[in-house]
Amino acid sequence: MSRYDAIVIGARCAGASTGMLLARQGHRVLVLDRSSFPSDVISTHFLWPHGTSYLNRWGLLDQVLAVTPSHTEVTFVNDGIPLTGSVPDELLRAYFRDWHGDDSGVVRTYASVRRHVLDQMLVEAASKAGAEVRTNFTVRELITEGDQVVGVRGRDSDGQLVEERARIVIGADGRNSFVARTLGLPKFDERPRCTFAYWSYYSGFDLGPAQLHRRGRLACAVAPTNHDQNMVLVWGPSEWSREFRRDVPGNFQRALDFVSPELGEVVRTRGVRAERVYGTLDQSAFLRPLAGPGWVLVGDAESAKDQCTAIGMTHAFRGAELVADALGRWFSGDVSLEAAMASYEGRRRSQNAAAYYDYVCTLAEMRPYRHDELQLFVALRGNQQEIDRFVATHADVAPVSEFFQASNLLLLNDAAKETSAGYPVFEDYPATARMYQQNLFA
Amino acid sequence: MSLPELDQRDDDELIGTILAAAGRQDLEAMAAAAAEVSEMTRNWATHIPWDEFDSLDETALNEVVADLTQMWEPVDLQVDADEEYALDKNAYDFYRPAGRNLMTRTEEFHGWVEARRRTETWQYSRTLEAAPNSIAQITNDIGRRTRGINFNSQDYLSFNTHPAIREAATKAMRDYGPHSAGSPMVLGNTRISDELEASLGELVRAEQVTLFPTGWAAGFGAMAGLVRQEDHVLIDRLAHSCLQQGARATTRNVVRYEHLNVEAVRRHLVDIRRRDSRNGILVVTDGLFSVDADWPDLVTLQRVCREHDATLLVDVAHDLGSMGPGGTGVLGLQEVLGDIDIVMGAFSKTFCSNGGFVASASPALKQYLKMFGGSHFFSNALSPVQTAVVLEASKIIRSAEGDLLRSRLRTAVTALREELTGHGLTCMGEPSPIVPLLIGNEKLARIANRLLFDRGVLAFMVEFPVTPTGSSRFRLQVQANHEPEEARAAARIIADAIADARTYLSSAFGSTER
Ligand SMILES: Cc1cc2nc3c(=O)[nH]c(=O)nc-3n(C[C@H](O)[C@H](O)[C@H](O)COP(=O)(O)OP(=O)(O)OC[C@H]3O[C@@H](n4cnc5c(N)ncnc54)[C@H](O)[C@@H]3O)c2cc1C
Ligand SMILES: Cc1ncc(COP(=O)(O)O)c(C=O)c1O
Repeated sequence: MSRYDAIVIGARCAGASTGMLLARQGHRVLVLDRSSFPSDVISTHFLWPHGTSYLNRWGLLDQVLAVTPSHTEVTFVNDGIPLTGSVPDELLRAYFRDWHGDDSGVVRTYASVRRHVLDQMLVEAASKAGAEVRTNFTVRELITEGDQVVGVRGRDSDGQLVEERARIVIGADGRNSFVARTLGLPKFDERPRCTFAYWSYYSGFDLGPAQLHRRGRLACAVAPTNHDQNMVLVWGPSEWSREFRRDVPGNFQRALDFVSPELGEVVRTRGVRAERVYGTLDQSAFLRPLAGPGWVLVGDAESAKDQCTAIGMTHAFRGAELVADALGRWFSGDVSLEAAMASYEGRRRSQNAAAYYDYVCTLAEMRPYRHDELQLFVALRGNQQEIDRFVATHADVAPVSEFFQASNLLLLNDAAKETSAGYPVFEDYPATARMYQQNLFA
Repeated sequence: MSLPELDQRDDDELIGTILAAAGRQDLEAMAAAAAEVSEMTRNWATHIPWDEFDSLDETALNEVVADLTQMWEPVDLQVDADEEYALDKNAYDFYRPAGRNLMTRTEEFHGWVEARRRTETWQYSRTLEAAPNSIAQITNDIGRRTRGINFNSQDYLSFNTHPAIREAATKAMRDYGPHSAGSPMVLGNTRISDELEASLGELVRAEQVTLFPTGWAAGFGAMAGLVRQEDHVLIDRLAHSCLQQGARATTRNVVRYEHLNVEAVRRHLVDIRRRDSRNGILVVTDGLFSVDADWPDLVTLQRVCREHDATLLVDVAHDLGSMGPGGTGVLGLQEVLGDIDIVMGAFSKTFCSNGGFVASASPALKQYLKMFGGSHFFSNALSPVQTAVVLEASKIIRSAEGDLLRSRLRTAVTALREELTGHGLTCMGEPSPIVPLLIGNEKLARIANRLLFDRGVLAFMVEFPVTPTGSSRFRLQVQANHEPEEARAAARIIADAIADARTYLSSAFGSTER
């Protein structure tokens, strides 16, 4: 019999959480990661309220919030049309009941927490729960018997070759998953259009709650994060990345000035940058098969999406609860592995999941907002309940289908309190739309 | 995070350097640049052997170059622009067009419709080449013809081919001619109309019946007749369009409640009554929901309404005649016949004709709706032929033959649902003449619809605005004349078309709802 019930490869949002949850159920878990901790990974680390709620459910939120600013309200400004809202408690509760059967631990705050802070806490929590965590451990091979994965071989921190076996190997090893590559898993539902995203960390100002701005094909965001700094991010269509890249710091500021002159000004005049500008455009979306003989994927390994709705970490948490729950039922002999994996798959590949995937991938194409969408934003002004539902929909708390439904969209129109009169974008919309197609960095 | 981090070169520049060095096979320069790459990127691009660049063999070098290029270069997309546009958009993208010229601003939508048509993904506006029986011959919007097992028409008891129905139509034609020649408030009704009102009154056990030229007009007219701007409407989020439009047209005090959630209705009623003790509240729901095939708990709903002095309106368009004891529909199933405040229905699903009705126990309500419903007073009456057909249909519905037809219908429904479910597909709702087959994603649904067209099954694919985004489906409407074996064969064909669409799009999303 193997020493472990499960080996988890990857010890961040997906892996450390899965390892922790399984260990808390009393299972023997080995968690491996090639990184040393604390360390960062490419990510702008914004956690929506269901993300922080997961941490709270697991007893980790206080520790995170002790060093991380958090807020409830968030402001979206789309082509000059501001909407401020928050995710309602009732929708959060419905979310947790729907996905996990209980709504304990719900909080309405969001937080932007650096990965070197968060992932370290997750790793510690996994250890404390009884999982054996080995960092600086690179998995190099999967051990198979027939087509069954039965363990891993890798190099530990001393460079020693080590072999470990378990009843199941969990690939929580990110977008470029070693497990998926080794097994030669295909990708499905590929959506190659995505954003380029560049960001860095600034001190020197405090703007309070997070802001997300969008104009034409570009967007920017600012969120307060650890160390009294702000994460400032710009993004745009990956087709424009070659030109953007010719002068990263210059174009970063130019994008800010274009999307939100006010924010651009704050960053230019008061911002003190603390790190280099990070960036990537490798964010095309895909799904992979979720499970097979002796293995299962969780987090970015099973499905990666563009950063534009800041959801990957929260989805990794959700996946961790789902997979830990499914595997727990198998370990305890309640269900077969096939049945457990089928229930995990049913949830992750459901129609609601498909609709949100589509929502993110379409948004990630960064086409200028359509006249229709902009008018919807105007119609939403002053309708707090529906703004909140929109925020919840954007963050994948409420199903896309409940907001984007004919009778709702028509009613929103009827309930409109404002007209488009005050917003310059509507003045000569066709000309504006044409201007938006010009690559700002060309 | 130590400060020097600020002075590091950006990863972009470093990866550019690495790729350039790789082009010169300069492994040392590659390794030197790799050492400067940020921890973030190294921990993320874990498939790149950042620490091993100085010892790469040729295959490994090529692999590194390929992986880094993929990370670094935007993809060059080769796509079929037409198909991408057709599949990408939804009707709501065109709901608020730009511009002050009401005519020219419809062009953009038209462009999308044309892209849908060119890619044969436009499911609308098909035409019949012959009677819409259990098998039909049709032409689609671009003139392509096909023939197949027909779940695309609504004629639940197959009355369209029934000899007695046809005879009733012929007789009315002979007696009165094709035209009613006036509003029912003037001289548009015939003696058949009175007989029909009486017959419907008996069927739903609410004898005060008013006829409308269409079901849509009945739903809209009932609400327009009753609700004033200070009143409130509580409407099921998924209730039929004629009711949603009726709500919008009459008051701004509209609450759309969660589908079927009677407890939510109660909470809203309490809330409204706390604020407003003076004005009316109309609670509105479908009986059998037309794209979900489910129904509310009418017993509790009616009770909750009475407790708060609210009036309940139930649209029985799809269930009346086709289900329930003696064809009494969902009302009969729940034993609330004669107990619902206002019953509204359409003839177009089971009664083999255009038209609709509103029924209640109140003669006052009847007269009021006739005067103020708009679509009764100010629209031409049902034609004598239509009235006669519906009257005959209502008689058959209440007869032993009606029971037989409904039982054949049920058998076909069961066969269809079982076979679809057996193929791992999700049939929504309850067994009823409507079988909603969930597909979800619009792209998948549109491609499945295209593939199905030539394969011998006719089915209507519904998407926004009929269903919410991301929950498109085939709405299969079964007829009493469908043989169970026919239904099973159709189910297999549909399952194949969906599977092929999934392969075409390389999609791994399944068909469970949540
Ligand atoms: C630009 C950008 C911005 C983003 N912003 C946000 C945001 O604001 N909010 C949000 O929620 N999400 C965001 N995301 C998404 C988020 O970063 C990911 O969804 C999340 O990191 C996924 O977590 P994970 O645990 O699945 O994978 P990862 O965090 O990638 O962790 C995988 C781990 O596996 C380890 N590993 C890999 N291979 C091996 C091996 N062979 N042996 C041992 N260990 C191995 C790696 O070292 C790594 O530590 C963003 C993504 C990007 C690209
Ligand atoms: C529930 C419901 N009510 C009303 C109507 C309108 O009926 P008609 O098509 O007869 O106008 C329909 C049909 O479209 C319906 O499905």
